[in-house]
Amino acid sequence: MPPPQPNPSPANAPAPAGISRRSFLRNSALFASGLAALAASLEPLRHLNEFPTVDQFLQKYYKELTPEEMAKVLKRIEDEVEHDYGLRPHVRDLKPMNGVEYVYALNLTRCIGCRKCVHACVGENNQSRNPEVQYIRVVRLPHGSLDLEKAEHNYNPEQVPEAGYFYMPVQCQQCRNPPCVKVCPVHATWQEKDGITVIDYNWCIGCRYCAAACPFWARHFNWTKPSIPKERLNPNMAYLGNRPRKQGVMEKCHFCIQRTRAGRYPACVEVCPVGARKFGNILDPESEVSYILRTKRVFIQLKEELGTSPRFYYYFDV
Amino acid sequence: MNNAEKTNAVLLVLAAVFVVLALKFATGYGATAPKLVRIPLVETQFLDTATFRKSYAELIRTKADLSDFDCYTCHTKGTPPTLRFDAQQNLIIPKEHEDIVMHHGSHGRNNNCFNCHNELNLELLQTRDGHEVKLAESPRLCGSCHGPTYRDWEAGAHGRTGGYWDRAAGPIKRQICVDCHDPHHPKIPPRTPAPGPHLLHPAANSEARVLKAEGSPKPEARSRPSGDAQENQVPLGAAKWSLSGPAAPELRLSAFGLPSDFRFRISGFTFRPPAC
Repeated sequence: MPPPQPNPSPANAPAPAGISRRSFLRNSALFASGLAALAASLEPLRHLNEFPTVDQFLQKYYKELTPEEMAKVLKRIEDEVEHDYGLRPHVRDLKPMNGVEYVYALNLTRCIGCRKCVHACVGENNQSRNPEVQYIRVVRLPHGSLDLEKAEHNYNPEQVPEAGYFYMPVQCQQCRNPPCVKVCPVHATWQEKDGITVIDYNWCIGCRYCAAACPFWARHFNWTKPSIPKERLNPNMAYLGNRPRKQGVMEKCHFCIQRTRAGRYPACVEVCPVGARKFGNILDPESEVSYILRTKRVFIQLKEELGTSPRFYYYFDV
Repeated sequence: MNNAEKTNAVLLVLAAVFVVLALKFATGYGATAPKLVRIPLVETQFLDTATFRKSYAELIRTKADLSDFDCYTCHTKGTPPTLRFDAQQNLIIPKEHEDIVMHHGSHGRNNNCFNCHNELNLELLQTRDGHEVKLAESPRLCGSCHGPTYRDWEAGAHGRTGGYWDRAAGPIKRQICVDCHDPHHPKIPPRTPAPGPHLLHPAANSEARVLKAEGSPKPEARSRPSGDAQENQVPLGAAKWSLSGPAAPELRLSAFGLPSDFRFRISGFTFRPPAC
């Protein structure tokens, strides 16, 4: 080791290149390890095989899309779904109807807790099968109270209904004053004029603020790319509805927008074997939900003390 | 050592650490990939939208075999069949009709066939005030006793709905009473529930199994896991986070300075109502 000098390199390096063997080796070793470190830090990108295409990346916000642009986007989504799942879907962009506001009514006297609605919903809305994403959560409560601390989600008896219990399915309550919409930093979710709170899956950044804000546990996050077997894929799709989601976006019940905006009942209503689920247009005085809200003991909007004012009403008849 | 050498030594150590880390990440050594629990697809019987049973009206519509409703191959026209009762005044159901379970009303007194069937014309029904009702129009007969339910059904509030809510877009699909209710035994029988959510939390899974084996538990025992079977599976002060089964790592909360009686409620439905 030479003694310390204020400026060692000119004195120790007579060669015109100004670089010694030692410093060359040292620097190249440092450079190589730096490259290795960079490669290691980028290693997870190896598993990322689905980069967004330019069209996907540059797609505009839902509310800013012109009809022509929307048609192109729908065509592109059909291509993507066909590529990913091997089935050509029919994707539509259904707009809210005039003079329609959807309301849901659920008869707690009738519900037997069979969970058929959960699986009809999964099938209709192309939810991931593994890991499971389920919009409807059926909880079992002991008779005589509505204390949700006593709610059991994982009940698993041989047969339902069980003596001493009643069942309460909970899903997105389509609040009139939705906290999930307030917290969204990018306006990827909003309330439509027919009362359905929708999500633009292409605009969602996956921050999950809405899941934290929702008092009903109604919002679900796609931690992985949804796995849907081809034979269970529902090809009747809507842009704001049941088209397969991407990894990293939120989803939730949208009252089966692909069905209800075409005039049909949601899948959970159609499958309910005991007729506990009722759905319709509250602005139509002849509809069954109007009749129910007029004549039945509609006793709660779930957690009404929070002031979110759900469009989902629970009632008892008897 | 002067400053330049110190710097070089530090850089070399850092470089060595980076190389080791790079090798570790690239080979995946020591990493445990989270395994997903295998979840079978739900059986298609749970996706079926069919009603519990088929009514006479539905059989006519689907052009099914109606020979069961051909009363007069056995009975004689114009002669009311005789009813036999045992000592407790319970109806004795003849062998030819052994598929019928009589349990219309828990009081057990509604056991006379001719409360609803017309004894002089078995292919017709009759209300208690003597109106004849065709088999295919049975809701009128049901409604003659079950008035409020009939009113609800007419308004669409009782019974299943399907098809179109928007009458302009298509027809609504309604069922009649006997599409779901057996007229002789109207209470809807219990059935097997569709599978619940598959938990990522094996302790809760085994708890569910334990509770199932023990039969119907008290609701408190399930919702407040203290001093019961779950206590043995989740040690106090420890939360099990697991995607991969029993060999999953255990996260000890005490390592983070949390009190040892701190508990997570991961599974289940933990709405917390506002303090009253």
